[in-house]
Amino acid sequence: MLELNHVTKRFNLTGTKEDTRVALDNISLQIKPGEFITIIGGNGSGKSTTLNVVSGALTPDQGTITLNGVDITKLKEFKRAAYFGRVFQDPMMGTSGDMSVIENLEIAFLRGKTHSPIKWGFSKRNKEYFIKQLKRLDLGLETRLNQKVGVMSGGQRQALTLLMATLRDRPSLKRMKKDYMTFSQNENAKLEFEIALQEEKNNFLIAKNEILKSNASNKKELIREEKEKMLDKMAKRFDITKQILLLDEHTAALDPKTARKVLELTNKIVRENNMTTLMVTHNMKDALTYGDRLIMFHLGHIILDVKGEEKKKLTPEDLLKMFEEADLKAIEQN
Amino acid sequence: MAFLDIILNILSSGLPCCLLALGIFLTYRLLDFADLTAEGSFLIGAAICGTLICIGVNPFIATIASVLSGAICGIITGVLNRYLKIPKLLSGIITLTATASIALLIMGFANNEGIFKPQVSFTISYNGPQQTIYSLFFPWQYNETVGMYITPSPWGDIIKIIVMFVVVSLAMIAIYFFFGTQYGMAIRATGMNEKMAKAQGINTNIATITCIAISNALIGLAGALYVQEAKAVSAITASGYLVIGLASILVGEAIFGKRSFKNWLISVALGSIVYFIIVTIATRLGLPTELKSLLYAILITLALCIQLIKDFITKHKNKRLGTKGD
Repeated sequence: MLELNHVTKRFNLTGTKEDTRVALDNISLQIKPGEFITIIGGNGSGKSTTLNVVSGALTPDQGTITLNGVDITKLKEFKRAAYFGRVFQDPMMGTSGDMSVIENLEIAFLRGKTHSPIKWGFSKRNKEYFIKQLKRLDLGLETRLNQKVGVMSGGQRQALTLLMATLRDRPSLKRMKKDYMTFSQNENAKLEFEIALQEEKNNFLIAKNEILKSNASNKKELIREEKEKMLDKMAKRFDITKQILLLDEHTAALDPKTARKVLELTNKIVRENNMTTLMVTHNMKDALTYGDRLIMFHLGHIILDVKGEEKKKLTPEDLLKMFEEADLKAIEQN
Repeated sequence: MAFLDIILNILSSGLPCCLLALGIFLTYRLLDFADLTAEGSFLIGAAICGTLICIGVNPFIATIASVLSGAICGIITGVLNRYLKIPKLLSGIITLTATASIALLIMGFANNEGIFKPQVSFTISYNGPQQTIYSLFFPWQYNETVGMYITPSPWGDIIKIIVMFVVVSLAMIAIYFFFGTQYGMAIRATGMNEKMAKAQGINTNIATITCIAISNALIGLAGALYVQEAKAVSAITASGYLVIGLASILVGEAIFGKRSFKNWLISVALGSIVYFIIVTIATRLGLPTELKSLLYAILITLALCIQLIKDFITKHKNKRLGTKGD
């Protein structure tokens, strides 16, 4: 559950009063896990600011942001990265152009982990996993692992960024425990984690002994596999900080055909992984086609928030009408 | 033997500059940070190593002290830029200005005459208190006519170059492996696209400062190798090395290319050797010392333009091939 509580953000506070611009005016928003939300609104209505405030790129002037009831308003951007996957409007922004596809994926995979100065940046285990994931994109990127991202097209880069935003390695046990204790809203979180860990460790030791007793030739490998299995089991149960996807007009810079493909891909990935998603878009048709909740921003306020059946009934014309009405109201008030 | 002397000369001034060029490369190319601290940390590295050797400290400890001092200079620049939000160029200039005073202060400790001594110089001899990392490996021989231990003529220089070569190679291997590790990749990502690095959970401030510190540690090491080779340093002789390092990078890239990271590192290192070959040829041909700086400027301009020239040639070739095809 992601919540924005009375968030206000102003820009140009140091200038004169006329220069000050209110990007978000006392916004409150509750986002349930697994919800796919599309956000529309005119330029300067505060939709991108909302994403930036959530991801930590901007700090709100007032109000708080909570994740599972925990206040993360003051958490630094790079520390929040473990919980949020982001795709930007500019295809150049989400990937590192001078690095290869696999290097970019490795960087994304390490999100929320400490970057070790001793461990080698590539691993065989990851490579196989990446190839499997790239195949799902259906862009032929799995054969171009060592190609520099800079030479690829905008659509390919955006698709890769999307994949990078959704991939994340299993966190370390220490991190898993910390996150579980913070975000689970469970009083006995620590105890529960430790009991489960002890259980899994015992299972691992039994399996290890069996392997050592047997006369298999690749004992070390088998033991490593068992250990991986144990960690995976723990992650499945306790890695509850699921990725929240923040898409900031990620198809705006693409041609219509590529944009459609990237959107379809987004929808597929979001639905398959049941990810909480915030998607900002300028295209009203897309905003209605995708997602299960629609929010419309206007001058820092939320003027429309519809879900389910109600959303399905809406047409692009309705939305346009609402825009114009809101504009007229604003002019009248001034 | 004159030819051998020239080669030994080129290598003994070129190899310390390999480290300098590699250091500047890390900030200038990987981080896109034009780091003017380089000049300061070279002087500080040379001054600290020279002073410690003058006092009679073990040359290895003196060299390590230079490396650390370079790293500290880098950390200062990094903190100025990252946490005090001073622009990149200015934070380098601030550290550079500060190091000029600090180097004089350090060099004052070389003898007891007082502080602010403009230069440090020392002589090495067998069993003398002042040794360099090279002289420890010299084949000292007792010469009866002079009545003291000396090293037969080319051997001292050859050993010096072997030691330098080992240090440079170790540094290159270390850089290559470090930038292939998880943290090294994080630093590279920070340099190329900071917004993406932040979104991928990298503490970009620390990554930047680490890279600047490593870069300046290498430059400090270059200063230490330089002062132990020249056996003297002053604020004047240790100036102008930033330009030399930069020129080495550009010349190396232009000639040897930058296809992969490994290739790029080797190109940069070889660049400084090529640079000294060019300078030596120019002086042998009778170029007056006054015109040296002009030569540097022309060299850098040429190296920067070489990509344009290459493009022009390939374009021309393609045109000709195209007409032939018709």
